[in-house]
Amino acid sequence: MTPIGVDEWVARSGDRRDQSGWRGRLGYLDARVGWWQRLFLVGLAAFVYGQFVVGGNVNYAQTGFNVLLYAILALGLNIVVGWAGLLDLGYIAFFGAGAYGYALFSSHAFGNLPLASGGVMLPAIASIPIAVAGVAILGVLIGLVALRLSGDYFAIVTLFVGQAFAEAANNVAPGTLGGANGLFGLQGFHVGSAAIGSTLGYYWVAVIVLVVLMGLLHLLDSSRTGRAWRAVRDDSLAASAMTIPVNKVKVMAFAFGAVVAALAGTIFAAQQSSVFSTNFSAQTLILIYACLVLGGAGSIGGAVLGGVVVTVAQQLLSSPIDSAYLFYGILVIVLVTRVRPWRYLAAVLAAIVAFGVAAHAIVGAISHRAIAGSPGSAGWFSTALRHYVIVPRGEPLTYGNILYIAAIVMVIVVVQLKGIRRLIAVVPTVYVGICCWEARLTLDPGITAQIMIGAILIVTMAARPEGLLGTRRVEVV
Amino acid sequence: MQIFIQTLVTGIVTGCLYALIALGYSMVYGVLKLLNFAHGDLYMVGAFIGYFAIQWFGGSTSLIIPVPLLLIFMMIVAGLGVGLLGVAIERFAYRPLRNAPRIAPLITALGVSFILEDSVLLLFGGFTKNYNAPAFLPFSQSIHIDGVNIDSVQLIIVGVSLVMMFGLRELVNRTVFGKSMRAVASDREAAEMLGINVDRTIAMTFFIGSAMAGVAGVMSGLAFGQISNIIGFLAGLKAFTAAVVGGIGSLPGAMIGGLVIGLCESFSSSYISSQYSDLIVFAILIVTMLIRPQGIFGRPPLQKV
Amino acid sequence: MRVRRTLTGALGVMALGSVMIFGASASSAHVAKTAAAKCSASIAIEAPFATGPATQLGLDQLHFAQLALAMANKANKTNITMGKDDTGLNPSLATTRTNSIIASSAVAAVGPAGSQEVEAVGPLFSKAGLAFVSGSATLPALATSGNKTFFRVVPDDNIQGPNDAKYIINHKLAPSGSTILIIDDQEAYSEGLVAVMTPILQKAGYTVNHQSYNGTDTGATLQSDFSSLATSQVNANTKVVILPWQSPANAEQFGQTMQQQGKTPILFGTDGTNSPGQFEISGAYVSNFGPDISTGKTPLDKALVSGVKKYGPYAAFGVPTWEATTVVADAISSVCKAGNKPSRSNVLAAIRKTNISAKNSAMGVPIKFQSNGDLTAKAGYLFHINTKGDYTEIPDK
Repeated sequence: MTPIGVDEWVARSGDRRDQSGWRGRLGYLDARVGWWQRLFLVGLAAFVYGQFVVGGNVNYAQTGFNVLLYAILALGLNIVVGWAGLLDLGYIAFFGAGAYGYALFSSHAFGNLPLASGGVMLPAIASIPIAVAGVAILGVLIGLVALRLSGDYFAIVTLFVGQAFAEAANNVAPGTLGGANGLFGLQGFHVGSAAIGSTLGYYWVAVIVLVVLMGLLHLLDSSRTGRAWRAVRDDSLAASAMTIPVNKVKVMAFAFGAVVAALAGTIFAAQQSSVFSTNFSAQTLILIYACLVLGGAGSIGGAVLGGVVVTVAQQLLSSPIDSAYLFYGILVIVLVTRVRPWRYLAAVLAAIVAFGVAAHAIVGAISHRAIAGSPGSAGWFSTALRHYVIVPRGEPLTYGNILYIAAIVMVIVVVQLKGIRRLIAVVPTVYVGICCWEARLTLDPGITAQIMIGAILIVTMAARPEGLLGTRRVEVV
Repeated sequence: MQIFIQTLVTGIVTGCLYALIALGYSMVYGVLKLLNFAHGDLYMVGAFIGYFAIQWFGGSTSLIIPVPLLLIFMMIVAGLGVGLLGVAIERFAYRPLRNAPRIAPLITALGVSFILEDSVLLLFGGFTKNYNAPAFLPFSQSIHIDGVNIDSVQLIIVGVSLVMMFGLRELVNRTVFGKSMRAVASDREAAEMLGINVDRTIAMTFFIGSAMAGVAGVMSGLAFGQISNIIGFLAGLKAFTAAVVGGIGSLPGAMIGGLVIGLCESFSSSYISSQYSDLIVFAILIVTMLIRPQGIFGRPPLQKV
Repeated sequence: MRVRRTLTGALGVMALGSVMIFGASASSAHVAKTAAAKCSASIAIEAPFATGPATQLGLDQLHFAQLALAMANKANKTNITMGKDDTGLNPSLATTRTNSIIASSAVAAVGPAGSQEVEAVGPLFSKAGLAFVSGSATLPALATSGNKTFFRVVPDDNIQGPNDAKYIINHKLAPSGSTILIIDDQEAYSEGLVAVMTPILQKAGYTVNHQSYNGTDTGATLQSDFSSLATSQVNANTKVVILPWQSPANAEQFGQTMQQQGKTPILFGTDGTNSPGQFEISGAYVSNFGPDISTGKTPLDKALVSGVKKYGPYAAFGVPTWEATTVVADAISSVCKAGNKPSRSNVLAAIRKTNISAKNSAMGVPIKFQSNGDLTAKAGYLFHINTKGDYTEIPDK
């Protein structure tokens, strides 16, 4: 069934009803803070993080930088996907083109590798505009061709653009673009003799870019162009009937997205001080999409929030202790929000503890070997769970794999059950999940991180299909 | 001439595999308007099920059952297993999003893809597994005509693909299920009002689409030997392209699209350049689509006002 | 409703009881194991073991590194722990992970795996004064581009490439004047070797046919490419096909594709394709950085083979990573023996002074570093694969 249009006002009818209690009060507060105040708060938060939290810790600086980078990329994608409604699968090419553009103009690449002499070596203040302007022209050209097609056919053509970029960067002119070895030893940003040499420095650059960009995009969103984009997205036929030049508006969105991506690319290249074709793979594109849609396509704040959530989740999942906090945190949050009223919750929590201790005691009585291993989580989790989870001696791969499959099957069963049966089934499920985490998932943290990211994406989309800060829209048929 | 025919054979064989995966893509798109990016990973899971079936029966060099029996068993088990997996994924990941904006299930599909790929990596390790099909389907059995070699695996692939495509056509055109699937595809709400069980129809569509991807996985294992947890991604991408080129939502389109991609690929890497074969394939497709924007078999969309 | 309330109550009572049991058992069993080993430190490994196209390579490295650490901890009576950082063979991920390692208490790192990753993170490590020992990055420029804390236990492309070319020439694998087909997979490792080998082979009088296929994106795909390459590029005059790849499975598959088409040139796999158990095309030649451990001639080889058995087959970059981890662990142990607490600077200094005899090295050569981080020894081995798929070493000519 083809929807003839969508409507936000109808979809939000529920929100306009008065809510009582803390939710209502929170909603009231939320409504009173204006957009520019919010932008100020975002800037303030970024300032506080950079000034007081990071300290000398390069890890924090890098995480902050990654958050901002993905937020900027998601903002650019938001113009194309969220506002103009174009499924652009080649966005990554413009990110890459910006990065390679900067790399070419601010290194010795145009001379001879390895980086001895020659080259163009412009200062950043000159090479960034050149790279961004170049990508803008590229964006318009590709947009003009690609937008002859619509819907999924447009998606396929842009997908080709993304693939073509990676292949071209890897194969064309290896003497200049470096082939698979990329370009390295790039010059950082500098004005005169004041150069940015640290990750924290690039963090500040990214903060400024992000805040300015958010402001500009907000103005753009409420401008004539912004309204035209949304009109085209919701119903291009009606929009053209209203004399909106549909194709021109679409190309414009496509090019605007490309410009933002290119800008992000230049910062990225300078911070990494190198560029490689593998930086601009489909995996990165997937992450940018995840940021945007998780946060809420069509919303500026959503794109930024998505960047925060996805990047921070990735960062947390790569550290053994933080990933344990995240795992158990999510577990508790899910239980607390899904099991109501609170006495059931208390009973279920207590039963989970009881079940595990009993299982541990019984298995321990049968075979001491079967409980001789130690939990895989780092820090105090390991000691706390020593007498709770069943972990055999050594690295019990098969045991853990069986638990993993069992846990998935049990989760599926739990979702199927209803009422009190579900409550009862939750107890062993959570216990098996915890045992699986401690015995198997902590052994391969990288793989576990990917699985967790996948689960977070699925669960968030199921809970809030419009994204965290997105706006619900109903389709009018 | 010899090179030409050999390249043609390669192209047709790969094209059949692409077509099988693309069919599932197209069917799911037809009923849900959903780009199921996890579809390629279902194909990967099918390939793993086939591999473990070989191990179960003693390994490639010391099979304890006759080869034809093994092949049938592998395909049935992979088809059923992956089909059920597809149904489960639809039930738990996609059904809650049935009325959500179109981009939401896209992200869910990526999440499913992450989970499938990394679960396989977790459970079976990162080592590329090898079917080692020549051990039980020796090359000496292949047909040699004037320097061109067509081996039994290639014949099996083409044969099974044709049977499945024919079966699917009959299923869609002649059965009650096929009718209800077409009804759901053209207007879900109207179909529901007419008493069609939409949930069951969608689940069934997922089952059939996924099962075909599973069988394709087994056959690609037989033909290309090595399988790993990441083979699904690019195969899915190519199948998506095939489905779109043929006209997404159209079943004959998906078949033809798969063959077109397979042939483009093999001819471009034989005759032009293997370095740029992907690029050449895409370029050909783009030109095709600029000439015929709705795909080869797709109908131009009707605008309802 | 009544049933529910009873159930809730029952669950509650069960819980209370068990909490009491839990407390009791915890207090009684907490006495054991407090005496920790004296020499403790933490290190990190960076490899693509969870994401990207090279998880096989990364997991291989991870397993061998874990084995090396367990063996070293036992032998030196140390307590070294290792953080695992997945890089996905992606330089930007490696940059993020490296900054996290620098911010941690790690005193040294093993890896990263790929040359591109080393290019990206080398400056970060050298700024932090943190030593990193790679078991697989072979780009020659890495040692000369100012990475002050970089070490590697594998010979670079300028040693491997000529070695491999000389094997083909000296062992007369192809008659003079015939064609040698060399296929790169568009990865850094592959391109580096092709660039070095091609001129040497041309000088020896061979016609070199250089082809390439896209192996960067996803590792294994529907490989119609192999079929087409074998069809169109392997002709009657092609006597040797060189596969400078990191994936033994791809090499195996190319071999099978050629067999299927009835073509019989000799396959020559470079170090990256060396994996008994994966690449076993009868009659092919494979080179390697080190001796073959699968035959288990020395106790060390036996220990390595049995140590990683539970993970399945292994490939070329596992053993060098074992060696790299051992270098780091031994350096930490030597710092402790000298009476110091392991820190980044003294571990770096100790790694510089590494001197492992050929007997104790899994690489078959003594491990000793030049000032730029390269090995002093130039190792290289050649193997022939027999009909059973076993590797036999062929002496150098």
